[in-house]
Amino acid sequence: MSISSPEEKPFQKVMKVEGVSKAFGGIQALQDVSFQIEAGHIHAVIGPNGAGKTTLFNIIMGAYAPDSGRVIYKEKAIQGRKVHEIVSMGISRTFQNVELFGSLTALENVLVGRHVRTRCGFLSAVARWPWVKEEEKAAREKALEILDFVGLKKTGHSRSVDLPFGWQRFLEIARALASEPQLMLLDEPASGLNAVETQQLGELLIHIKERGVTILLVEHDMSLTMAISNEILVLHQGRRLAEGSPREIQDNETVISAYLGKV
Amino acid sequence: MYKRLVFIAVIVLTGQVVSNPYDLQLLTFIGINTLLALGLNMVMGYAGQISLGHAAFFGLGAYTSSLLTIHLDWSPWLALPFTLVFVGIVAFLVALPMLRLSGYYLGMGTLAFGMIVFFIFLQWRSLTGGDSGLIGIPPLTLGPISFEFGAAPFYLVWGIVFLSFIVCERLIDSRIGRALRSLHDSERASAAVGINTSRLKVQVFVFGGVLAALAGFLYAHMVTFISPQTFDFLMSVKIVTMVVIGGMASVWGSLFGAALLTLLPEWLHVFAEYEMIIYGLILVVIMIFLPQGLTRGLLDIYEHFKSRRKTLPKSHEG
Repeated sequence: MSISSPEEKPFQKVMKVEGVSKAFGGIQALQDVSFQIEAGHIHAVIGPNGAGKTTLFNIIMGAYAPDSGRVIYKEKAIQGRKVHEIVSMGISRTFQNVELFGSLTALENVLVGRHVRTRCGFLSAVARWPWVKEEEKAAREKALEILDFVGLKKTGHSRSVDLPFGWQRFLEIARALASEPQLMLLDEPASGLNAVETQQLGELLIHIKERGVTILLVEHDMSLTMAISNEILVLHQGRRLAEGSPREIQDNETVISAYLGKV
Repeated sequence: MYKRLVFIAVIVLTGQVVSNPYDLQLLTFIGINTLLALGLNMVMGYAGQISLGHAAFFGLGAYTSSLLTIHLDWSPWLALPFTLVFVGIVAFLVALPMLRLSGYYLGMGTLAFGMIVFFIFLQWRSLTGGDSGLIGIPPLTLGPISFEFGAAPFYLVWGIVFLSFIVCERLIDSRIGRALRSLHDSERASAAVGINTSRLKVQVFVFGGVLAALAGFLYAHMVTFISPQTFDFLMSVKIVTMVVIGGMASVWGSLFGAALLTLLPEWLHVFAEYEMIIYGLILVVIMIFLPQGLTRGLLDIYEHFKSRRKTLPKSHEG
């Protein structure tokens, strides 16, 4: 999917969020939030609970339409589009509380993740044309490769609900990788992980980045966020409080008083 | 593959051994009910969308084909594709608004749809014959063979059941089948991986509806008489029960569920007025002890005993 046609410009900014606001009843979840995501970077969004991080994710993924503002992905406005369109354009996500398909095996979970990159429908499933078999075979190979990439090769045939929690997190990332995204939105991937798993997660995210996938990361684990992020956006009560490199954010007085607390 | 051969062998053998016309008709009804359960199982067992109005599609299939053959003098074989397409369109139009609902509300919505269709059959007397139904529906014929009595309808219905099994198994074991099961597990997550969930739900609903219409077509031309009571709310509940008792998300479960719910009332006739009580009791007991349905439940029991037999000799050694 990384092959770009000649007339297509390389996008330095894979995503631009421009003045996005969203209110739920009387609560202003996001207020005029703007930022840009550099292609190939890990861009973190931090902020206390209720800062609007998950709302931001839901707006980018098309689950909510913003009240105002635009979300530009590869120079196309995508706000208000259907989720499945956005996924097939190359954005995928994971959830804060892991949302796997419990009755499906790990491998099947990843295969469902390939849904937008395969095209067998009702009729062709029944007809089992030769191309359907080939598509299925290729999808399986790809899914196994992705499982291997996240370190879950041996668990392919276990039901996902039977996996230990940490592995479920990695499996959800594998599923999100299966649609061959250019931008991945990870909602607190380290929550519920132990120290070793968090370390492995950090390495995995670096590997994903090395594959050329841009990551938008919401995370509460500060040492992980500071270690792997290129830029950090700080949200506070739905507003943009600060943005910069991990070092700049650590030294930022406003951020320290609002969020990190005095050390 | 050998499963399929066994299936065919059992059908052929049954058709040869059973000669009593009453038994043959009963077995044919099991086949028709299996088609109904199979379609609903795709909607409910696999995709997780509750439908309490499945009998409406059964009835629409039966009435559409009957009216075409009685009033317009069409051959049933010509009426068949028209019936399936017509009911498919109805299912599509119903599914569009209906499948925006979920859970209890979807149950209520489909229940209401089933009742509306039932009352149309009942009240549109000039067309449907109302309470007394339609008589003189021409039976299916193919050259010299008539599919009205004896073994011919049995083979026809079970041949179609066999084909439907293959269709469903292929669907389940495909990209579409995985998407359906993912929808059952988490609609939020299946949308997030890029499945067009509303479209998929409509598609599977239409599929189930068309399969029920096919069952209705077979029923009408076999019995040659239909009336609204066959397609009422209780029938919808009965189909749901077949799916649940047989086993959700199991093709074979549909067969067992349909067989049990078709045969039980026959066997329970000896209990006369206690029939319904015993019938209900059996269903309750199955649900309590085999909540996964008959198929899964019996398999679990079988595996349990198999593993016990394996471990028993070891304990004797000690």
